[in-house]
Amino acid sequence: MKVSFPYMGTTVVYKKLLELLGHEVIVPPKPSQRTINLGVKYSPEFACFPLKVIMGSYIEAIEKGAEVIITSGGHGPCRAGFYEKVHSKILQAENHDVEFIVFDSMFRNFKGFFRNIYRIKQNNSWYKVSQSLLFVYNMIKKLDILEKEVETIRAYEIRKGETTRAWEKIQDLFDKASTKKELEGAFNKGTQLLREIKQEKVHDSNKIRIGIVGEIYVVMEASINMKIEEILGSLGAEVERSQYLSQWINYNVTPKFINRTHEMEILKKGEKYIPIPIGGHAKQTVGHIVDFNERGFDGVIHLMPFACLPELVSQSIIPKITEELGIPVLTLAIDEQAGTANSLTRIEAFLDLIQGKKSKKIS
Amino acid sequence: MKIGIPQSLLYEYYYLFWKTYFEELGFEVVTTPPTTKGIIDKGVKLSVPEICVPIKVYIGHVATLLEEDVDYIFVPRFVSIKKGQFFCPKFMGLPDMLRYSIEGIEEKLLMPSISTKSDNIAEAFKDPKLFQGKLNIGMKDNKRAVEKAEKIWLDFRTNSKKGYSCKEAAEITVGNVGKEECVPLNKEEVNLTIGLIGYVYNVYDAFISMDIVNKLRNMGVSIKTFEMLEDDEINKELKDMSKTLFWTFSDKLLAAGYHFYKNEEVDGLIHVTAFGCGPDSMLGKLLELDSPLYNKPFMTVRIDEHSGENHLQTRIEAFVDMLKRKKINVQRGA
Ligand code: SF4
Ligand code: SF4
Repeated sequence: MKVSFPYMGTTVVYKKLLELLGHEVIVPPKPSQRTINLGVKYSPEFACFPLKVIMGSYIEAIEKGAEVIITSGGHGPCRAGFYEKVHSKILQAENHDVEFIVFDSMFRNFKGFFRNIYRIKQNNSWYKVSQSLLFVYNMIKKLDILEKEVETIRAYEIRKGETTRAWEKIQDLFDKASTKKELEGAFNKGTQLLREIKQEKVHDSNKIRIGIVGEIYVVMEASINMKIEEILGSLGAEVERSQYLSQWINYNVTPKFINRTHEMEILKKGEKYIPIPIGGHAKQTVGHIVDFNERGFDGVIHLMPFACLPELVSQSIIPKITEELGIPVLTLAIDEQAGTANSLTRIEAFLDLIQGKKSKKIS
Repeated sequence: MKIGIPQSLLYEYYYLFWKTYFEELGFEVVTTPPTTKGIIDKGVKLSVPEICVPIKVYIGHVATLLEEDVDYIFVPRFVSIKKGQFFCPKFMGLPDMLRYSIEGIEEKLLMPSISTKSDNIAEAFKDPKLFQGKLNIGMKDNKRAVEKAEKIWLDFRTNSKKGYSCKEAAEITVGNVGKEECVPLNKEEVNLTIGLIGYVYNVYDAFISMDIVNKLRNMGVSIKTFEMLEDDEINKELKDMSKTLFWTFSDKLLAAGYHFYKNEEVDGLIHVTAFGCGPDSMLGKLLELDSPLYNKPFMTVRIDEHSGENHLQTRIEAFVDMLKRKKINVQRGA
């Protein structure tokens, strides 16, 4: 069977896991304007933007021959968990014949989780399955380490675009690795590649650091957030996101009693503004803004998908946070028109404002 | 002491409970008038542009209360009224949006958090810390007030399930009007019945829905809404779904929709939804896609801040005519 998955963030890891288990994998094309247009066309109008993009991504995967789509059910009070219901019904109505395998967190629905694993495990031994999971988890962790470096180096590269090219190469290297040793090799090679990038020397006090917060899909998926990290990097700003895949896994897939400290701390920081989890990542969003402020970041970009319920709540509160803490926050709505000159101008103006503030402080 | 309650969002569903509770404790209850253009405009000014119309309307009502001389404004935080289920994020974050976007409002807000096992919210009000120390209520008084409020609310629900609209059911419950004076919405002898799918804050806000309830009635159509169904009927539908929406009232609408599809008395469905509602656009789509399966027409009426009344009237008339024709054809064929 030909399997596919939703396109989000570092897709190479999904591909890897399924390949290790011996599946024929159809990688959906990176979301493009076409993907988005398809998604918008077939989704309900006020469905949130990620749902629409994923819709488009599924259609493109089906065009490439996907027969089975593996996706995570998501959970919590937001609609991510319901995506699959809507997607499959719409695809059905459009006469696309695909099957969905939905993974809910294994600690929420143990039986269902293993039933699903069983379906994709094929003839592999359980040992092989657990080894594969572990391998992929390690891969994610290593990729995240390198990506964080990329996000810093990019701001100071002398040859424009060099870091991004290196990052693409690194992902490719990881894609080719399928043993522990090869993984180690890819990681070392990647580190090497990044070290070779010539950087401008910038005095610490002149460095600009921007945090990116918001709903997970638009924060993680560069092709729909107008490559915000690259834009900021090219304008000379270091970037750190609120979410990385390895953290997401720590929080959502591993059991409650381990590994959750970071996320818990962030949630605690958001408590003053949003005391309870209200769904999606709204509470994390405000928590991360507080956290970035405490860590001395110069500004925050808040990415809000069109029609995102919880982020509309955080958006309503953000002006007050800025007023109280002083950290500038720019909210960018992400929809099918994002990435236009207008957004770019707003980002540039935002960085100008920050630079202005900084030089005033120094003088 | 005066407590203001906005006539918006879940007001239609819980007002009798809230009013009885506060009055029994000796507070004076003030409510805002039904939604007007002026109220909406105030809300629009105070909210982020993309947010759904009902939240804008609610914020407008709160702003209206601020202009009045009330001591407190009652803005409950609805979290859950069913195990494992939640409210739309905008409900859960409602008090936060208000306290961080209107300067100086926080001390005036009563923001009890509502987490109960069922629609009956009495349980939540038994907690003496409910108002974060803002109201000084004795345990004994509280107990009495909750009991009274609960009893009246349960009566109200019983009347609702007989087919009266929320407003009528409330009036009948407090004895303002007799049952004879109200026409139950799903009166059997009318030959056309429409399942009206929508939140109480859309369907019963005459300004938002342009009074669709009476419009349909005046055309001689009887109506069924989700709150007229027995809990069992709703739960049965939900049980049959492999996954539900997570949001209680959206789930109720979805379940009601499927119930109406299967219910022989119902001839067609109208979904009343407000501009910008994410949950509705999902459940609306599912119901729409399934409409051919049950061979029952489905229509969406979407309301925004400035829809045109005439337009709606014509669309509803056309829909009702179509249902009538369909019914006659079927009867002839049979
Ligand atoms: S958090 Fe926002 S974008 Fe994500 S599923 Fe929920 S509504 Fe959609
Ligand atoms: S359910 Fe829809 S209309 Fe109601 S608050 Fe949520 S988004 Fe708004």
